[in-house]
Amino acid sequence: MIEETLVLFKNIRNPDYDKSLKGYKKSGGFKALKKALKMKPEELVELVKSSGLRGRGGAGFPTGLKWSFMAKNTGKPSYLICNADESEPGTCKDRELMLKDPHQFLEGMMIGCYAINCRHGYIYVRGEYFPSIKSLNAAIDELYADGVLGENAFGKGKGLDLTVHTGAGAYICGEESALLDSLEGKRGHPRVKPPFPAVAGFNACPTTVNNVETLTCLPFIVNEGPEAFAGFGPPNNAGTHLVSLSGHVNQPGVYEVRMDVTLKDIIYELGGGIRNGKKLKGVIPGGSSSPVLTAEEIDVEYNFDALSKAGTMMGSAALMVFDEDTDVIKLLHRITRFYNHESCGQCTPCREGTHWARLIVQDFLKGNGNERKMKRLQRVGGNMMGTTVCALGDAAAMPITSFVKKFPLEFEKYYTQAAA
Amino acid sequence: MPVFEMDGKPVEFEPGEKVLSAAMRAGIKIPHYCYHPGMSVVATCRMCMVDVIDMGNGRPAPKLQTSCSMDAVEGMKVETKNEKVQEARELVMEYLLINHPLDCPICDQSGECVLQDYSFEYGSGKSEMEYSKRVYGWRDIGTFVALERNRCIQCTRCDRFTREITGTNEFGMFNRGHELTVDTYSDRPMINQFQGNMADICPVGALTEKEFRFKRRAWKLKKTPSICVGCSTGCNVTIEYDRNEVFRLKPRDNPEVNKWWMCDLGRLTYKTLNQRQNRLGNPLGKTGDGLQEISWEEAFNAISGKIKELQPSSTEVLGLVDTHASNEELYLFKKLLKQGFGSDLLCFPEPDWEQPVSDFFIDSLITSDKTPNRAGARLLGLKGEKSVDAVLPKLTSGVKVLLVLGQPFDVESLQVQAASIPLVVNISAWNSGWTQTADVSLPGRLHAEKEVTYTNKAGRVQRVQTAIRAHHKTRPDWMILCGLMEMLDVENQVDSTESIFLEMADAEQGFKELQWEELSSDGLNVPQTLQDPGRTEVSELSKTA
Amino acid sequence: MFSEEGQKELERLLSRYPFKRNALLPILHLAQKENEGWLSEASIKFVAEVCEVSETHVEGVISFYTMYKLKKPGKYHLQICTCVPCCLVGGEELLEHTESKLGIHAGSTSDDGRFSIEEMECIGACSYAPAVIVNEDYYEKVSPQSMDQLLTDCK
Repeated sequence: MIEETLVLFKNIRNPDYDKSLKGYKKSGGFKALKKALKMKPEELVELVKSSGLRGRGGAGFPTGLKWSFMAKNTGKPSYLICNADESEPGTCKDRELMLKDPHQFLEGMMIGCYAINCRHGYIYVRGEYFPSIKSLNAAIDELYADGVLGENAFGKGKGLDLTVHTGAGAYICGEESALLDSLEGKRGHPRVKPPFPAVAGFNACPTTVNNVETLTCLPFIVNEGPEAFAGFGPPNNAGTHLVSLSGHVNQPGVYEVRMDVTLKDIIYELGGGIRNGKKLKGVIPGGSSSPVLTAEEIDVEYNFDALSKAGTMMGSAALMVFDEDTDVIKLLHRITRFYNHESCGQCTPCREGTHWARLIVQDFLKGNGNERKMKRLQRVGGNMMGTTVCALGDAAAMPITSFVKKFPLEFEKYYTQAAA
Repeated sequence: MPVFEMDGKPVEFEPGEKVLSAAMRAGIKIPHYCYHPGMSVVATCRMCMVDVIDMGNGRPAPKLQTSCSMDAVEGMKVETKNEKVQEARELVMEYLLINHPLDCPICDQSGECVLQDYSFEYGSGKSEMEYSKRVYGWRDIGTFVALERNRCIQCTRCDRFTREITGTNEFGMFNRGHELTVDTYSDRPMINQFQGNMADICPVGALTEKEFRFKRRAWKLKKTPSICVGCSTGCNVTIEYDRNEVFRLKPRDNPEVNKWWMCDLGRLTYKTLNQRQNRLGNPLGKTGDGLQEISWEEAFNAISGKIKELQPSSTEVLGLVDTHASNEELYLFKKLLKQGFGSDLLCFPEPDWEQPVSDFFIDSLITSDKTPNRAGARLLGLKGEKSVDAVLPKLTSGVKVLLVLGQPFDVESLQVQAASIPLVVNISAWNSGWTQTADVSLPGRLHAEKEVTYTNKAGRVQRVQTAIRAHHKTRPDWMILCGLMEMLDVENQVDSTESIFLEMADAEQGFKELQWEELSSDGLNVPQTLQDPGRTEVSELSKTA
Repeated sequence: MFSEEGQKELERLLSRYPFKRNALLPILHLAQKENEGWLSEASIKFVAEVCEVSETHVEGVISFYTMYKLKKPGKYHLQICTCVPCCLVGGEELLEHTESKLGIHAGSTSDDGRFSIEEMECIGACSYAPAVIVNEDYYEKVSPQSMDQLLTDCK
């Protein structure tokens, strides 16, 4: 019987936990920040590099390495922006951290700001997350009142300010460069790279964008050391991670697990198996952007490398489970509808492709499907892969091509009875 | 200069330059929509994708790269003709056409439409789209450009134009996804004075000039390089005409003068070139019964006869000229007065004028001096007078012969005095107040009807070529002046624009060292060593691109 | 144009960013709140002046994001998620149920101005699906029955 491994959720799983600043300090909070402030920023970067921490937003890019890309001696301020846009369908883990243990996350954010010499950090929270925004603002007010934030946050005369910035309803603003444009007060269109944010990001200054969970890992890494963090999984897949389990399981929820736990274990042990005694049909393992897996393919470790080897990806660790009664084409239609709605529209393959793909799947649902249209769907969807400005094109392409590949018989159910 | 390889051929590039820009300079054609050399790179149309088989470090790029956003690197190897690139271009064409209406039969852009051209060259020629196209409502956005949003391919050039080039920000992108469109805010109209450029940069027929709408098919138009004479900037243009009627002016690229732009007022000067009613079509002579049409021989005889009768001294001959006259004409006019009559009395109107100050280069294109050759007059050492009041005393100081080239000064204020001068000769393309005053009027030609040069506000000498035919009884003004010199037995070897220019470059300090052969339609700057107070350095005119 | 509290918040927001334009999104939220949940032409003009951008820019931003409204919503704005995880456990049925109960479709407001419905993409409550936001409050694991109770409670 596998259990949760509580690192980030240590306080949250404690029913008596007081999430105020007082309560957080009582449970050992802000020791890590004190320790970090005794190090030099460059040492901190090296520490995080050696811990093997990889981004928890979806791309899994090594965090320490990302920090080391920051352009130095530009004469411009450096910025750390926290990406709390959490809009990938299936993902609801960052809100747990922001709602139920905001100070742990804020401590991580402060450590991150110190590491890259940021004077004013921004937390870009999606606009719909009203409870999280209130929670963060209240926590930040506490920190200012207590003198933890402000003029002397990092020592005498070395201050730090944090600001919660609200988004306004756009999935694409979770993409790093679109987020920066949105933060600057513009429409959220992803930028052409180069230049990369580490060179010219927020207001053309060197910027790093990190996910909420990534930053929340930092207090543990500083307190317990990089080896302890790396020990929670196989090499190159360090730490625990939060899995948002949803769909047709008995116990959906957000669970914190080691990186060597299998998909099967998460679904059947933590999730309590498929509800209503049904059989599993398929799993979307890493948010709707990841290629789907059939019921036969779930015996795989749930970490970055193993999932990548299995032809899918971990993404934002959002596990959506569907049972034997699920209409797969309806599900695919809902997915294509999502990308059609969220495409920013600036580049040709995504703007036209997401719309056209959705129309084709809709055609199937109307009962007009045939093999020619299936091939067309494969082509139209697949053509968005690798041809777009940002990863939304890839994210829209992967579910389409994987559903066509893994569930061809489901499509045939909607083939027209009339001649093609 | 560093070099990279494209399709096996070496291409030179400046450090920091993008692959597309270097390729275009080398004459290699890479299709693109959203890229424009004057605006920021967005790399969203995806049409310019190329295959980088060596990034300069021995490794290929993992996927096709957009050449407009990719920095050129020494040793890079790029392919633009292989199957991968062809497929990518077909893909982009197919996607752009699924929502683009089949408006070609009624669209002005047809014949000069980049979407049409690329579709023919790179498209697959078939469509698999079976569903309805998205449709937008129509709205009138102003007096100069028409917007057809259904045709828009979302290249965002127009949005970047009002943001980066004019700074007026009245045009922008709205909505997102497949409903992404461009428009002005609410029901506001366009406000900038350079809207015609938006029609130029729009690769399809989404933005078109209202003046030109439905008038003529683009492929019927003949094109001649010229300059705009609406003001002293002298933007490089192309005169586009069919059967001797001018339909529009479009800007030509010239990084030294107007970059890629021209103003809307300048575009509207095309109408002047079509006006026939106010033109002087025949030499006119004043008799007791009013103005009568006479032949050129009669005209010259009348003038020479009167001069023999009057025997004016050097202080009794006055010349007035406006700065619409070209360099050659100003030079010959000066020569005529000096060597025909020994007179130095020659002036042109030069009211105060200002240089616009703006953060945006394009604003500097419109000057308050609405004549094309003030700088030429100054370089030739002619005297400028601020107002007509300064000219009045000259007219009443015993002048016997008044030669007027063009329509200088307000003739109504001078009419009474001018009427008392024994001989007034007017050389002009227009039938104006001076024609009523003059004893003999000689019909000249407009800039589009002759080959001459003008000097713009920054001291750039630019040559225009003959585009349209003038009335057969008119003559180029410089030819008329040569005729007058011949009549007065002035030694004059020059009888063509080229020979006049060469003589002028030799005789005049202001034009020293300029070579005719180098005066292509791009123009040439006058020597930098000269200190002409009327000149403004191009570099002072702008702080931005 | 704003209330006293709103004006204070406006100044606070402007002070948190290096450029006034950077505060545009939060300020639009504030302007919307100050105007009963929607943005009028006057709001847009005011925000454009305060953030030193053109009205076209503000309108372009509003049309890009889904949370800015150009029409007044109901007193209780029901934001019902039908995205992938909610869809798997009855989100679409919940929307249909609510629409037929109130007699209006998603995107409209009831005649008495009490309710408006908006169909949402993923609102980040996936493990607690189906989920609904009413104004600013999350309601999770909503069934048609609990939705009926919710509607009754919204007076």
